[in-house]
Amino acid sequence: MASVATMLSARRGRGKADWTDWFSYGYLLLGLVLMFGPVLWLVLSSFKSAAALNEFPPHFLPYGQKSVAVAGHETPLPLYRVTLPDGATRELAEVRRIGIQATLVDPNAPDREYKVNIRDRTPVRDLQFATGNYSEIFAKFSFGTYLWNSVFITVVATLITLLFNAMAAFALSKYRFGGRDAVFLLIISTLMIPPTIILVPNFLVVSELGLLNSLWGVIWPAVATPTGVFILRQYMLTIPDELIDAARMDHASEWRIFWRIILPLSAPALAVLAIFSVMWRWNDFLWPLIVLSRTEKFTLQLALNAFQGELTTQWHYLLAMTVVTLLPVTLVFAFLQKYITTGIASAGVK
Amino acid sequence: MAGLQLKRVAKRYGATTVIHGIDLEVKNGEFVVFVGPSGCGKSTLLRMIAGLESASDGDIVIDGNRVNDVSAAQRGLAMVFQSYALYPHMTVYQNLAFGLENLRTPRATIDAKVRGAAQMLRLDALLERRPTQLSGGQRQRVAIGRAIVRDPTIFLFDEPLSNLDAELRVQMRSEITALHARLGTTMIYVTHDQVEAMTMADRIVVLRAGSVEQIGTPLELYNRPDNRFVAGFIGSPQMNFLTGRIATIRDEGARIALDAAPHAASDAALPVRVSTATVEQRVLLGIRPEHVTIGAAQAGSLHVTAKIDRVEQLGAASFLYCTLSSGERLTVHASGQVGYTGGEQMTVNLPVSDTHLFDATDAETAVALR
Repeated sequence: MASVATMLSARRGRGKADWTDWFSYGYLLLGLVLMFGPVLWLVLSSFKSAAALNEFPPHFLPYGQKSVAVAGHETPLPLYRVTLPDGATRELAEVRRIGIQATLVDPNAPDREYKVNIRDRTPVRDLQFATGNYSEIFAKFSFGTYLWNSVFITVVATLITLLFNAMAAFALSKYRFGGRDAVFLLIISTLMIPPTIILVPNFLVVSELGLLNSLWGVIWPAVATPTGVFILRQYMLTIPDELIDAARMDHASEWRIFWRIILPLSAPALAVLAIFSVMWRWNDFLWPLIVLSRTEKFTLQLALNAFQGELTTQWHYLLAMTVVTLLPVTLVFAFLQKYITTGIASAGVK
Repeated sequence: MAGLQLKRVAKRYGATTVIHGIDLEVKNGEFVVFVGPSGCGKSTLLRMIAGLESASDGDIVIDGNRVNDVSAAQRGLAMVFQSYALYPHMTVYQNLAFGLENLRTPRATIDAKVRGAAQMLRLDALLERRPTQLSGGQRQRVAIGRAIVRDPTIFLFDEPLSNLDAELRVQMRSEITALHARLGTTMIYVTHDQVEAMTMADRIVVLRAGSVEQIGTPLELYNRPDNRFVAGFIGSPQMNFLTGRIATIRDEGARIALDAAPHAASDAALPVRVSTATVEQRVLLGIRPEHVTIGAAQAGSLHVTAKIDRVEQLGAASFLYCTLSSGERLTVHASGQVGYTGGEQMTVNLPVSDTHLFDATDAETAVALR
C-alpha cells in the first residue's frame, strides 16, 4: 500500500508540485479514463438487468427498481414514490397499470388501493447487481461448450506454437548451414503478408484436409508464426555455444540438447511468446468464423457474435459473456506482464 | 585411458588455413600442454580432437582407431571449457549427472559416481546449489567433476584457469596436476600461459599460427629451444636477443661478435655445425636474464657495457632493465638485492655456455644454430 501511495504522489523534484506534475497526472488520468472507462462501463453494465440496460438516460451503476413482497400477491411488486393528491409522498407498490392510471397499494396495508396518474409516481431505485446474467448464460446457452472450445484451441495452439517455433529458432540460431540467413529472412518477410491475403488459400488447404468444422482446423494454420521464431531466435543467440558443446561432450543427442538445455534456458522468451499466443488465439475471430460453422464448435468470440440476433439482442447476457471472455487474457497479462517487458528487451538487444 | 595420434591434421575455413598439417603422438597417461599466443590455433586443435570441429585433412587416431567421422559424444572424451559451460538451470548434482543420464546409466550407478567425484573434488556440500551460487574455483571444480564422472579416455582442458584470479589459479594448477597423478588418464591441456605449461606438462607442444614450433619436455624447451619463437615464449621474463655476426668458425665452434661490442669476439666458442653457419653470417644471440652476470669480465663470456634504465627490486631477486651501446635492450635477473640504481653504467657477462644462437638471416623463423 505504501509503495502505491508513494507512486501516486511522486513528484518532479522535492518541493511543491510543478505545473509539469499537474500536466503529467492529467495526461495519465486522461489515458486511464480512455483505456479503462469502456472496460469499466462494460463490467458494470454486465451486472444490469435487461430493463436497466434499456433505460434512457443510462446510469453508470447498475440501478434497479426496488420491489417488495406484498401479502396477497404472488410476485414481488415494484416500488414507487408517489405524490398523492393531498401533496404527501409515500412509497407504494404498484399492483397494475391501465393507460395513464396506476393502481398502487401500501405494502404494509395492502387492503387500501390508491389510483394515481403515472406522472405522479417515480420508481424507487437501489443498487442491484444482476448476477443472474452470469449464472444464466451457463444454463441457458451452451456457454460451457464455447468456453471449452476456446480454451482447447488456445492451450493446444499455444503449446504447439511454442514447440514448433522453438525448434525453428534453435536450428536458425545454433546450427551453421548453407542458406540459414536466407531461410530466416524468408520467415521474417512473411510478416509483410497480411493474413487476409492468404485467407482463401488457407481455407482451401484446410478444406482439402477435411478440417472444416474441426477445432484442429483453427489450430494448425497459425502455429508457425514469424514473430515467435524471431523472438525465440534472438533470445537463443544469447545462450553460449559452449553449453551446447558441453552437452555434446556429455553424450546428449540433439533433441536432448534442445529439450534439456535450450528450452529451459529460453524460458523468458517462451513466456513472452506464450502470452502473445494466448492473446492471439483467444481473441481470434476471423479465422474461426471461416472454419467453424456449426454452433457446437463455436469459440467464445463466435458465440458472442452469433448472440447478436437480427431482431433482438439480449444485451445483458451478451455483456456478461463478454466480461467472461475478457477475463482469461486479462489474468494472463496481469501475472506474466513482467516477462513481456524483460523478454522483449532481451529479445531485441543482446 | 588411451593414446592419441594426429597425422597431418589440418583445418581450413574456406580459403584460410588455420591448422597446417600437425603431427603429434600423445602417449597413454601423458599430460600434454598446447601452448601458444592467442590465435595460434591451439583451441581449434583441441576442439578437433574433441570432435566439436571437423578436420579438413589428416587423421585423428584414438587408441588405434581413426575417429574423424565419429561424433563428439561417441569419442569417449571429456572436455573442460574456458567458461566452464555449466548448465545454469541445473544443480551441481544434475550438472554432474547429465552426461551419465544421457548414457542411460542406472540411477544407483549415477548416484555413486556423482557422489564419488564430488567427494574427490570437495563438492559434497554444494551438490544442491546452482552454478550461479558458486565461486569461480568451485565452478571450475564442478566442470572438472563433470568430466571425471564419465571416466573418459582422455581429458581435454581448454584454458580452464584463465577466468580465475592469480592465487586460485596456482591452487587449481596443483589440483589438476594431482588429479592427473591420481587418475593416470591422458590429459591434453590448452593454455596461453607458459608458466602453466612449464609447471604442469609432461610434454609441451608450442604452436604458432597453426603450426607446431617445437615439442618437448618443459626443460628441453627451456634449455634447447629450436627457434627464436620458442626461446622467447618459454621463460619469464623473456630471453634477451642481441644481434651480432659470426666472427670466426673453427673446429670447436663459432666465435661471435655482438653489435653491442663489435670489436670483441667471444673468447669461447659456441658449438655450431659448420654446414649451417658461415663466417660473417648475421646471428641472434639469445641469453636468458637469469644467466647474465654483473661485474668484472669473466672468462668464457661475452662482455658488454650496459646502462641501467630501471631497477625492480623484488626482495629475493632483482630485475635490471638496461640499454646497450647498440640500442638493444637487455634484462638482467640478479638473485638477491642489488645496489645499482637507474642511470649507472656497468659491465655484464654473457656466459657463452648459456647462450643460444639463432640464424638471423631469416628473422621470421630464426632457427637455432647448433
